[in-house]
Amino acid sequence: MEIQPFGDSAIIVTFEKVISEEVNQKVISLYEALKVQKGISYLIPAYNSLTIGYDIENWKFVTISDLVKVTINGTPKLSSTSERKVYSIPVCYEKPFDLDSLEVCEQIDLTKEELIQMHTGQVFRVYMLGFVAGFAYMGSLPEHLACKRKATPRLRVPKGSVGLAGLQTGIYPTEAPGGWQIIGQTPLNMFDPNRGQTSLLAPGDYVKFRAIGLEEFKIIQLKIETEIFEMEEAYA
Amino acid sequence: MPDVMQVTCLKAGLYTSIQDEGRMGVQDQGIPFSGALDKSSMHIANQLVGNPLNSPVLEMTMFGPILSFENSGQIAITGANMKATLNGVSIESYKTIDIEKGDRLEFHDTVFGCRTYLAIGGEWLVPQWLGSYSALPSLIESKVLPSKIKDGYTFRINTGERIAPSRIPVNQQPIYSECYIIRVVTGPEFSQFDIDVIQSFFEQIFIVDADSNRMGYRLKGVLSNYKSSGEEISSGITIGTVQLNNAGSPIILMADAQTTGGYPRIANVVTEDLEIVAQMKPKDELKFMLISLEGL
Repeated sequence: MEIQPFGDSAIIVTFEKVISEEVNQKVISLYEALKVQKGISYLIPAYNSLTIGYDIENWKFVTISDLVKVTINGTPKLSSTSERKVYSIPVCYEKPFDLDSLEVCEQIDLTKEELIQMHTGQVFRVYMLGFVAGFAYMGSLPEHLACKRKATPRLRVPKGSVGLAGLQTGIYPTEAPGGWQIIGQTPLNMFDPNRGQTSLLAPGDYVKFRAIGLEEFKIIQLKIETEIFEMEEAYA
Repeated sequence: MPDVMQVTCLKAGLYTSIQDEGRMGVQDQGIPFSGALDKSSMHIANQLVGNPLNSPVLEMTMFGPILSFENSGQIAITGANMKATLNGVSIESYKTIDIEKGDRLEFHDTVFGCRTYLAIGGEWLVPQWLGSYSALPSLIESKVLPSKIKDGYTFRINTGERIAPSRIPVNQQPIYSECYIIRVVTGPEFSQFDIDVIQSFFEQIFIVDADSNRMGYRLKGVLSNYKSSGEEISSGITIGTVQLNNAGSPIILMADAQTTGGYPRIANVVTEDLEIVAQMKPKDELKFMLISLEGL
């Protein structure tokens, strides 16, 4: 672990330089512990690092870095028996949402059915939110699904698009430019500024994708519009 | 007696938005900081009309809007000089100005500096989101909350009693230039760069690219011998983070930037100098100067 100053009003704590659930859990544990601390102005949890903004009127780098050290030592490790919340995210992998499925299948030598099976077959961790408000970086994908980003990024990736990049999978919460390979779309509102909890997913959550057809996509969309949709979640 | 004044933006200008201190504390959801880029100018404008210093203001960029006021009140203009006229007559910046019903305030272009701030005395009756009145950054959509201001946009202000007018003496007003030295401290990935890359970062004069905005300042100029080491594992970004893109050109990230990124972070602009960056416009020149945190 390394603690460095990050500009004159933030510090960054970097754990091992790998993407893994174990390292990300260290980030989330520290994030949860510091959330309630006074004098901290913002926190940005990422894969293996936590950025901590502090009020320069009241804090100095040395005092905040001591606080971090004490907090890390005093934070209980995640026990392996603790329950994890798994959100079920419906995804339509059919036309017209499967923008890059053909390209991906050729690149990694899978049939589309196999691609869907692998993407829906396992629980993924939400490592961090970033890029645009509410964009969840999830993973890690099975090695076989690892694919390159698009050579030329799209100027407009449709809202709700589900994409692949390297060992990561993510959902575009709004229309945005981007280079991820798009294999489907969810009807869910991943980010809504008018909602109390703006982002549907938080770092440290778990997700399992569920394949749906066009019909169900439209039904869920309608349920969301009329505010009768209920999110499926389970503990596993 | 409080009165409600309606303000209409007849022409929006190049990029005009409502800004205040911004949204600190929601970056864990991937929500940008937002907020006025030149905070001192915002504070002074608010002070001149008797508002709390963190009240919302209009932030105008390079070419300002045309506004009409449907009631009397008080305003103050700070930041870059946009040659403002009230009913066709030139008015001064950095002083309290009385507005009468039906007045038309027109801003033009800036010669020096990039951003101008307009404070209007009273309580702004505009929507708030997550504790801030600042406009939504471009990639968040909402039907209710405003992003940048469009032609015809109207908003209302609860004006109070007029305060005694005041002014900021000329020798205390900022002077803008076309070239600056910007102070930075080392960034998280500083030590992984070769010495000639670091040398070139501090020796070169960079030019502000036309493609610069509230998200970031792109700089023209490539660091010598820069070899991208591939993407870093995505990590946090703060206002003023200087990252190097794959080609070796620096980008200074500003208040509307995304909260995480994968480019190496070579340096960080010190907080005090961020408002200088905010007043730089395309084609302006800058050089970075390394200082130590202890020296601040």
